[in-house]
Amino acid sequence: MSAGSFLWKGVAVPFREGESVAAALMRAGIRNLGRDGAGAGLRYFCGIGACQNCVVSVGGSVVEACLTPACEGMAVEAVEMAHG
Amino acid sequence: MVVVGAGIVGAATCYFLSQRGFRVRLIEASAPASAASGAADGAVSVASKRPGPMMTAALAGIALYRQLERDGLFAGLFKSRPTMMVAENEKEAEKLVEHSAALAGEGMRLRHLEGGALRQHLPGVAPHVRLAVEVGEEGHAIGYEIVRRLIAASGVTVERGVAVTGLAPKSDGKTVTAVRTARGAVEADHVVIAAGGGSAALLGLPDATRPRKGQLVVTERSPALAASLPGSLMSCRYLLSKDAIRAASAETGRRFGLVIDPLRTGQFLIGSTREEREDTGNDHDAVSRLLASAVKLMPALAHLRAIRVFAGVRTATRDGLPIVGRMPDIENLLVATGFEGDGICLGPLVGREIARLVAGETTELDLTPFAPGRFEPRSLVA
Amino acid sequence: MDRPADIVCDTLVVGGGAAGVAAAAELCRAGLTVELAEQRPALGGAYYRQPAGRAAGMQAGDRRARQWSRLEDELRRAAVTPRLRHVFLGVDTDGLVLLDDRNGGRVRTVRTRAVIVAVGAVERVLPRPGWQLDGVVTAGGLQMLIKETGEAPRGDIVIAGNGPLAVALAADLARLGRPPVAVVEAGDPLARPLAALRMAAFPGLVAEAAAHLVRVRAAGTPWLRGSRLTSISREDGRLLASIEDRNGATRRIRADTVALHDGIRPNDFGLPATARGEPFVLRAGDCREALGVGAAEADGRAAAREAVALLTGTAPRRHAPEVSRQRRAQAVLGALFKPVRDDGGLAALPDETVLCRCEGRTVGQLRAMLTEPDPVGPREIKLNGRFGMGSCQGRFCADNVQALIAAARPGTVAGPLSRDRWPARPVLIAALAAEEETREE
Repeated sequence: MSAGSFLWKGVAVPFREGESVAAALMRAGIRNLGRDGAGAGLRYFCGIGACQNCVVSVGGSVVEACLTPACEGMAVEAVEMAHG
Repeated sequence: MVVVGAGIVGAATCYFLSQRGFRVRLIEASAPASAASGAADGAVSVASKRPGPMMTAALAGIALYRQLERDGLFAGLFKSRPTMMVAENEKEAEKLVEHSAALAGEGMRLRHLEGGALRQHLPGVAPHVRLAVEVGEEGHAIGYEIVRRLIAASGVTVERGVAVTGLAPKSDGKTVTAVRTARGAVEADHVVIAAGGGSAALLGLPDATRPRKGQLVVTERSPALAASLPGSLMSCRYLLSKDAIRAASAETGRRFGLVIDPLRTGQFLIGSTREEREDTGNDHDAVSRLLASAVKLMPALAHLRAIRVFAGVRTATRDGLPIVGRMPDIENLLVATGFEGDGICLGPLVGREIARLVAGETTELDLTPFAPGRFEPRSLVA
Repeated sequence: MDRPADIVCDTLVVGGGAAGVAAAAELCRAGLTVELAEQRPALGGAYYRQPAGRAAGMQAGDRRARQWSRLEDELRRAAVTPRLRHVFLGVDTDGLVLLDDRNGGRVRTVRTRAVIVAVGAVERVLPRPGWQLDGVVTAGGLQMLIKETGEAPRGDIVIAGNGPLAVALAADLARLGRPPVAVVEAGDPLARPLAALRMAAFPGLVAEAAAHLVRVRAAGTPWLRGSRLTSISREDGRLLASIEDRNGATRRIRADTVALHDGIRPNDFGLPATARGEPFVLRAGDCREALGVGAAEADGRAAAREAVALLTGTAPRRHAPEVSRQRRAQAVLGALFKPVRDDGGLAALPDETVLCRCEGRTVGQLRAMLTEPDPVGPREIKLNGRFGMGSCQGRFCADNVQALIAAARPGTVAGPLSRDRWPARPVLIAALAAEEETREE
């Protein structure tokens, strides 16, 4: 889990050791995480896994980006890619 | 007119009575759709029925939903879609073939899907599924939405939080004059008891019904996946589940009957169990097994998250048939309960027929098989 | 019911913040076996959030940092190995506790005699048009970000809402060299002399607050008291925040991040009710009563003592003087930060304001339901209006929906929209589905 980069929609995003996917995305200025199944805009909001606004898709499954530690080479997609 | 119980049956009765110009009081112990109607799987379906009075009733129930959707009352609430009955092994396939022959014998339109045709029509089901029978002309409706629509259309204000504790018979015992509540007696020229599990006790039929719990799971939205299913998926085990219950007399175990339903919202409703219990809690054992069978049938479900797990309590009867009609020897007391998982499908239909009975008209549906008189009555709870 | 539980222990503590860690250490000291579950990859909770594996962001001399070090040492000596990345889902009807192991991708079942739930608080955020836009975060969420990354998000930051957290956050940002361009505060603490006097009983808090204020002032950040942020819109790729002062005068401030905060409340959504039979369920820390980190450790120890008493059949004593003291402090802070205008702006919200973000439901849609002739109850509003039916399970809309219902029906008390059902959090079906399919006949 040490520093490196993961992929967000195919594009490399750097992360520092211990950062969550959400924090790394915010630091990279990526704020718009796409739309959820109800068409609402996704984004970082509460930081504690409560609001479900920062959900992304990892390995085809929906997870909260703020609770997911960034890992080297991890492929993160927008939820709409997985679930439409 | 007093209707006791604001579930789907009571709400429908209230609506159809109001349509005839009767003044109705709808008395509800908690809130509309707070029991089974609000925790239902929403199937408006004949697929799992055997030929007989339940199939006849279900066909009429579906037809009424279509009509009411067309006429506007249920506009936007009834989702017309087929049920795909699926067999995952030889034994199930045999059972399914037998069952579909019975349905076809009643004139239902079915489509058998195997091999390439099955894969094409149901790309999301697992490769081991051998046979799918598509039962067209089925549908789905969300119980609490239907209840709300019926109540609003009736123009009646529900008397919430008022439990009916008994009935007040006239001295000759041939009529009831009022229902008793914690807030005093409410007079009525006709009383309809549509109180689900609470009905039998009020009517002096304490052993006629029993509770039957069902656990369900709701997932987050996945519009693309939901759209890939042409209708709901029903495992043949569902047929065996209902059968086994009817056969057993003192059943203490539980049965699983898998139905995977794609909802309008893009969510999936996955159900359910049949358990001789009346609580509405959920246990990990039942839910994890239900989901295991769902994932086995439709692997892509594994990637979705469950956001809500709940349970509803059906009202089951000793002989598996609902109790609908006039109480024997009491001309102004009617009952409509015991729908055991068919309440959503039959609710509006039964409401219409009860209203006809009250108005002195003949019913379209033959209610004889459902006659309350087939149970040994005790005295009414006063 | 037939399968043995994955984990068996005397007690389970959920939450690795100050309350949970203190409770776990205390339980171990009493001779009980303890499991500790924490949803993040590291302990610390909201207050002591640090990036895993990196040097602490806090100064070594900091009073709180020392307190946390002490707690961590205590836990190490107790030889409790926390189960990290385990999310608490609840307790099922068989009394099994369910933990979502995010590392292993499986739900683990726990057979335990007592559970202490210490999952902390969640922020209150009043609805405002535009609160759902990206770039809008909670103040706590922003604090979490800066603790985790060690830096502030780029661009201009506005903090808005009510309560001391906003000032603390502004000071944190100032220390990073990135003070906010404005702090919008609904209260006016400088104009509440009586409350200010009562604060003298809490010199530690006063010192902390004063230090924050001095830093914020030195950085030149305007502290717009008696003011409300009334709406947020997007313009030219940035956010535009509209602010109204106590006289109704408005101004607009451009920003890139808007942090909202209208208080905190226990994060008790979906939590099992306190149970008086095994497994006993107790709450500790902010999820029991939002009193902040100052009370959390004491409350955790008190909960542990209560659990020990319940398990040994002795009379539980939950006495914790520090907790009572913090409660008094929070009451004074509440008085100090009391909004200048009372209604929280709910009545003035435009109909199109998003109320339930997860289901896309607006204030106008709720108002329409409330004006129907048949007086629908909270559950009917939830089911038919879909408020709180989405994946956040009502955490960010239930309170606001209840407040709007109460405002529309003065004199009534709107019942809760959420119930204590598991899963308390969304859980992957892959994790929850049984591994082997069993023949259920």
